[in-house]
Amino acid sequence: MVASLQQDAYPGYEPTVTVGSSPENDGRGVHEAEKIFTLGPGQVAGLSGIPGSGLTRLGLALLAPYANKGSLACIDVRGWMSPTAAWEMGIEPEHLVVVRNGDIVTWGRIVATLLDGVGGVYAEIPSGIKAASLRKLVAKARTQRTPLVLRPVMGELPSGIAHLHLKVKEVIWFGTDAGHGRLRTRRTLLDASGKSTRGMERTIEVEDDGTNDLRVVSHMGPQTSRRFA
Amino acid sequence: MWYPTWALRRPDVSLDQPAQAVDTANKVVARNQPAAALGVAVGMQRRSAEAICPTIVTVVSDPTADMARFEPVVAAIEAIVPRVEIASPGLLFLPIEGAVRYYGGETPLVERISKELAEFDGDHRIGLAAGPFASHQAARKTTIKAPELIVADDAAFLASLDIGTLTSEDLAATFRWLGITTLGSLAELPKQAIVSRFGREGIDAQRLARGLDRIVDPRVIQKDPSVESHFDPPLDDFEQASFSARNLAQRLMSGLAFSGVAPHRVIVTATAGDGTVRARTWRSSDPFNDQTLADRIRWQLRAWIDGVSSGIRGGLVTLRLEPADLSGSGRQMALEEDARSFEEMQRACVEVQAIAGADNLLVASPQGGRDPGQRVHWTRWGDVPAPHPRDPQAPWPGQIPSPAPTLVPPDPVPFEVSWADGMPEHVRLKSRWVPVLSWAGPWRSVGRWWSGESSADRYQIVTSVGAYLCEIRDGTTYLIGVYD
Repeated sequence: MVASLQQDAYPGYEPTVTVGSSPENDGRGVHEAEKIFTLGPGQVAGLSGIPGSGLTRLGLALLAPYANKGSLACIDVRGWMSPTAAWEMGIEPEHLVVVRNGDIVTWGRIVATLLDGVGGVYAEIPSGIKAASLRKLVAKARTQRTPLVLRPVMGELPSGIAHLHLKVKEVIWFGTDAGHGRLRTRRTLLDASGKSTRGMERTIEVEDDGTNDLRVVSHMGPQTSRRFA
Repeated sequence: MWYPTWALRRPDVSLDQPAQAVDTANKVVARNQPAAALGVAVGMQRRSAEAICPTIVTVVSDPTADMARFEPVVAAIEAIVPRVEIASPGLLFLPIEGAVRYYGGETPLVERISKELAEFDGDHRIGLAAGPFASHQAARKTTIKAPELIVADDAAFLASLDIGTLTSEDLAATFRWLGITTLGSLAELPKQAIVSRFGREGIDAQRLARGLDRIVDPRVIQKDPSVESHFDPPLDDFEQASFSARNLAQRLMSGLAFSGVAPHRVIVTATAGDGTVRARTWRSSDPFNDQTLADRIRWQLRAWIDGVSSGIRGGLVTLRLEPADLSGSGRQMALEEDARSFEEMQRACVEVQAIAGADNLLVASPQGGRDPGQRVHWTRWGDVPAPHPRDPQAPWPGQIPSPAPTLVPPDPVPFEVSWADGMPEHVRLKSRWVPVLSWAGPWRSVGRWWSGESSADRYQIVTSVGAYLCEIRDGTTYLIGVYD
């Protein structure tokens, strides 16, 4: 089971986890980043990063506003998902159902069924799911106007699937120091791309202290596009 | 206890000639025996009834006046059985558990009530069953010659009834179209099939058909949800009192809606200027909403003002509403959209249960505990959660503080950590050793040593690829959470 935690599953991709002294926030560009960070009805977000990089909380934070309008469903491929993080995000226990299923044969049907009935779906993708199946689900999410967050447990999402694609670049933990303190705050530096960033790759930094939903923090700015006119 | 023709018990209606009472939508709500003999039925359109019987006398039902006339009957019944619940003028529910013991059985009690009601000179009917729905249906099954019916087995009695006895006409019509013509055949259908096809409404109907009646959701509302209004100077005018009652009903319902509940019963208490306190309980098979509750309070106030107890002396000083039998369906029924989305969610979940298996669709509730895994109580979706003894509000010293790990293995997973001078240096992730950047702990968990649980030390470890929660128990390190 520990194998799923390691970086070997993500060749060529290596986020940096570091430890910081104290978080600061200068508030620059926050509003614009928050706009990118909002998932509209029927939109799909794709998350890339190894377990431990904070993407489960990030995915739940994207869907949390929809918990007020109905129930949310999480598809837990590994059987490890704990709802406490969702409760910390403000999702009420009775508004969250968890489906434990790692079977690639039934996975697509389950996601499709949930898209018909719940307010939002967070789905871990087991390895072996074809890109065509994912594209069908994305189309269904759009038709049903149900937000969908996709998180492959291994590898990357096929390109062009997600409206917002978030990839973890760096994780900074605050609060621990050689046996003292405790984990308090995590800052995650993300590369955002997709339609929601209008084709430009952007860097967003989010902060999570476990007491509220994620906050977008400073140092956000457009990155140089790789394309030229 | 039911008076089928209560709406027709008025001075301007003769009981010897055909008569009907219609509501504001021109539907027949009551008809007397001569009209029934000619084919006039409750629920029929006024025009159709008049076509069958052109000489029929039609009156428009006035629940306020009806309730004022009904108040003495309620008072008389209350002298025999306390805490009566009024559903509408002419229809009362009596919780008879205590009274049956006092009067020595169900038959003596029914006889005693009948004797009391004989004074009021009317066509009263009594149905006795375990639930309100079955007792109402039993009362409807009675006749003038046999006005009492005691049901021994609710489910067996209901099984023979027509599907049309359900309150929802559309639902009954759909069931009939599908060949389900009796409540018995509805009761026999599998619950999951009903949920997937008809949602919440279907399940409620099936529960009625099985004699289980409605579910009262035992949600705990922390503070007292009752609302009260004081009037200074006291209110003498009925219209003023009605207006205040409407505001009070809205206040009550909006307060309850915040907690996601709606009441099936409301106790209306009025204090008069001379210190007299009167209270009445109103019941509804569907949860009350602002409008229906305000109507009931208005009817009740009119009954008290015009009743035999010679009004509210000294004016109305205090009006209090106390809800009971709170139902969680209040949240879902608050908006049509909510009700629909709830139904869709139910349908989707039943389908997912069929695909993934009942054990793999879960809901969780918080419970107390020191480790992240202990703080979650899992229940299969659709099952009633079993009570869990761990109080989440208790302090739980040694509990791992927030933020909580997002990934928690069902059982602790062995985790290799290399130590130097009592400090973690590296952790092994499959074939690689990754350096520990920082760590916190240990938090010692002593456990229930008297039942053989060993103690453990918990650490938070930050590595270059993520943060982990691990514990050392009996010299072995285990992974118990990942901060994902």
